[in-house]
Amino acid sequence: MDLTGAFGARSAAVGACREPPGLESLHLGGGDGGFTALLELPPTQAVELLHFTDPSPSSSQAAVAGVGLDVSPPPPPLHAYGALTFPSNAALMERAARFSVMANEQQNGNVSGETTTTSSVPSNSDRVKTEPGETDSSQRLENNRCGIGKRKELDKKVKGSTKKKSKSSEENEKLPYVHVRARRGQATDSHSLAERARREKINARMKLLQELVPGCDKIQGTALVLDEIINHVQSLQRQVEMLSMRLAAVNPRVDFNLDTLLASENGSLMDGSFNGTAMQLAWPHQVTETEQSFHHRQLQLQQPPQPQQWPYDGLIQPAWGREDDQGHGNEHNSLMAVSENLMVGSASLHPNQVKMEL
Amino acid sequence: MASAYNPIYTDVPEKDVFALHFLQTLSNLRTQNSFSSPDNKTSDRVKKIKKAAYVSMARAAGGTNRLWSRSLLHQAAKRNNKNVRFLRRKRRVTWLMRRRSNRGDPIEDVAAERLRNLVPGGGGMETSKLMEETAHYIKCLSMQVKVMQCLVDGLSPK
Repeated sequence: MDLTGAFGARSAAVGACREPPGLESLHLGGGDGGFTALLELPPTQAVELLHFTDPSPSSSQAAVAGVGLDVSPPPPPLHAYGALTFPSNAALMERAARFSVMANEQQNGNVSGETTTTSSVPSNSDRVKTEPGETDSSQRLENNRCGIGKRKELDKKVKGSTKKKSKSSEENEKLPYVHVRARRGQATDSHSLAERARREKINARMKLLQELVPGCDKIQGTALVLDEIINHVQSLQRQVEMLSMRLAAVNPRVDFNLDTLLASENGSLMDGSFNGTAMQLAWPHQVTETEQSFHHRQLQLQQPPQPQQWPYDGLIQPAWGREDDQGHGNEHNSLMAVSENLMVGSASLHPNQVKMEL
Repeated sequence: MASAYNPIYTDVPEKDVFALHFLQTLSNLRTQNSFSSPDNKTSDRVKKIKKAAYVSMARAAGGTNRLWSRSLLHQAAKRNNKNVRFLRRKRRVTWLMRRRSNRGDPIEDVAAERLRNLVPGGGGMETSKLMEETAHYIKCLSMQVKVMQCLVDGLSPK
């Protein structure tokens, strides 16, 4: 029959490539209980169609006609797929063929040993969870993407057989659904699917954290990785505390003014890129300052710091030179204005420019 | 720093932003008269500096856009005064509700609890969100540590 011929051709084409993207956009019903609603069959009969009986007209007819056909003979090896004949109901056949092709391409993909992540539809790309399919066995049945929610009646009906192949092939366009692929032998109720999605989310983020924390990629197992992450966070916090203690210890000893501190160091860093005269002007000005603002404390540096430690301070430096005679409130403005010039490369030191002892 | 496309968005600003904020906070601290008086106990000063460091880090890292920074700022403001107001983010109810109903994985729950205690604002978060926040928090913390290290090295006499 021409329909089977067409079907066979399509399946052959499908076997070549992974999945024709056109099939992905099949809006099959789209509503609730999509598969069954589309076929307009009672669910059991629809399920019957899914199960591939012997490729003989009689049994296929029986599959259509009789609901009571037992499901127990397992479907034949799926590579002999093309020889399958379908019931003679044309419309039914077409729909069934469409469905079967979609299921078939999944299986063909799996049979050929690919680990497909068939979520080629990026509509919810930020929520798409795709499991890398494991090809442990040649007959790997995978669920198509199911939305979390109501599309599970079909799955529940076929739970009897281990080689169930439940699919709901609607698209979830812009719904906040998570695309989850259920593996063979795993429960497909909404709870476990949600659980699996959540676990995958967590695993993705765990990988991110592993890259962040040094030395975490070698460790296997989530518990140890998490411990390592926690240790890292704790050590960072302890470091902050330690450094703040050191800062506090440094403070009373040196009566320092942060702006001049940075100004001086940037003066050492920026050779010629900054107008040194402005700085010279600023410093004597600061020397004679009184208690008006907080600028008047001077920093006495014996030695300019290493240039590579202050690559970012050049932007602050001109601000300090300018703002000394200005009010206190302008500091912020000049800071922000200066922060645009992120120039200062680590220039060489200019010892003569570092006149901190004024 | 160039960021490749990452669906989990954890970019932190450059080091100078952190430096700026920290120095600003420090200079604000310095204007307080109680800070530089010699009879001040060191521990108080340490605490103030530490708080300043965290607050400036929270501000530098994205203000109220991040959960942990928001909680940090909230804590800090609560100690000073209560005039902190920020936008209420639209709650995504679904995942939160799912959290109540999920059966916790015992392995990750223990560690997640410890993380929650460490990361500020981690009490009300789901585990996946918690890990996002942790990643961002780690990045910001390391940046802040670098800034402070530079500052201390610059200030300490050789």
